Amino acid sequence: MSYFHWKKLTYISDLSPLIRWWLYGTITPVSRWIRFLIAVLLGGVLGLLYGWVVNPVKYVDTTPSSLRADYQADYVLMVAESYNQNRDLPLAARRLALLGESSPTEHVRQALIFGAQNGYADSDLELLSQLASDLQTWNPITGTGGS
Amino acid sequence: MRENRGPWYLLTGFVLGAFLGLLYAWVVSPVEYVDTSPAAMRADFRDQYRALIASAYVANRDIARAQARLNLLSDRDVARTLAEQAQHTLADGGSPEVAQALALLALDLGQGPTPVVVAGSPTAVSTLAVPTAAVEAASPTAGVTQLPTETPQIPTNPVTAAAETSEPSPSLGAALQTPQATRTSLPTGAPLPTRTPTATSGAPIALEEKSFVCDPNLAEPMIQVVAENAAGDQISGIEVVVNWEGGENHFFTGIKSELGPGYADFTMTPGEVYSLRLAEGGEPVSELTAAECESGDGSRYWGSWLLLFAQGAE
Repeated sequence: MSYFHWKKLTYISDLSPLIRWWLYGTITPVSRWIRFLIAVLLGGVLGLLYGWVVNPVKYVDTTPSSLRADYQADYVLMVAESYNQNRDLPLAARRLALLGESSPTEHVRQALIFGAQNGYADSDLELLSQLASDLQTWNPITGTGGS
Repeated sequence: MRENRGPWYLLTGFVLGAFLGLLYAWVVSPVEYVDTSPAAMRADFRDQYRALIASAYVANRDIARAQARLNLLSDRDVARTLAEQAQHTLADGGSPEVAQALALLALDLGQGPTPVVVAGSPTAVSTLAVPTAAVEAASPTAGVTQLPTETPQIPTNPVTAAAETSEPSPSLGAALQTPQATRTSLPTGAPLPTRTPTATSGAPIALEEKSFVCDPNLAEPMIQVVAENAAGDQISGIEVVVNWEGGENHFFTGIKSELGPGYADFTMTPGEVYSLRLAEGGEPVSELTAAECESGDGSRYWGSWLLLFAQGAE
């Protein structure tokens, strides 16, 4: 038997008096509370084990607003690329609105910061800047502004 | 002092612990979805993401970038998914521009060796070659924006990630089979240009040939449409409108890119009378109905209409 298994068995055998006490030991009001708390802890540990290891959370049906920062920045870049071709500012704003409650301008600003920090090509940064600039002058009520 | 109440209190503690754990997990500190990937998005958001990728592709024509972005959605068959979404967009009354962008991207992604019409005997059927995906892989180039990858690291090195991506070729089902005799306008045995042909401006596209095709390999009665430009090359993105009593459907050539860049089809319901026209204008082709063919052994099967539209045809 390997050293590892031997150590493991030793460890379990060390615990066995504690388990015996927990299950069959003399019960006093104090010891009962201790055993009760151990049961609570055990339930919690098993719950976490189930939730984190056996059946961990799978992310499905999420929204664009929960995307990782680099995905969000690329999403904004796609909107900017599309806007550069169709010049449809309301459509760009609607697409940006999927990214969450912040204003479209703020989403583009965040993407610009991310792009500048992560080596986006100048041409892409230019597209983002153009979209940000046009959004700033755009009035969603009247539909005026932009280029 | 010794009490003999049994082990039930241990079970009570266990249940209480689990309850407290759930209370914490669901009420006090519920799960917040952050840093998710596009593949985890709800289906309708994935559709919008795909449409945006296509719109961006129409603007920049960067197939490697579009491919890298589509890979984030983990679609099993990218070209087919795009094509189906294009059809659904039209069927649901969505934006024709978006549908066209999706169709174009589907076509360009599915385009491998250009489909070739293989010549056969006068009685034999011709078969379009099965293409493989030929996604251009961009070489790492300084100054090119790195697209997000599925790894948890935030990209810092300005090289394209698209070079590492490739997509298996779309699985292709039936090959288009049409009697050779009816396809005289199609070049035989000669490869078409690898670049997607487009309609040249000027001359309108009009019906050149209408023929009824008996092909036992086609399980359903269909209207098959092929569009060609003046040079005889198949052209994609031509919007076709089919009308019948109480219904209308729009589709584009090139949606089934595996069958040819200028090919589209529509499945008829037996008993229904259809008329078909190109959205850009021209005379409608009317009185299209499903009809049966008879094979040599007397068995019956559905035939199909083959309509060849060509630029400059009268």
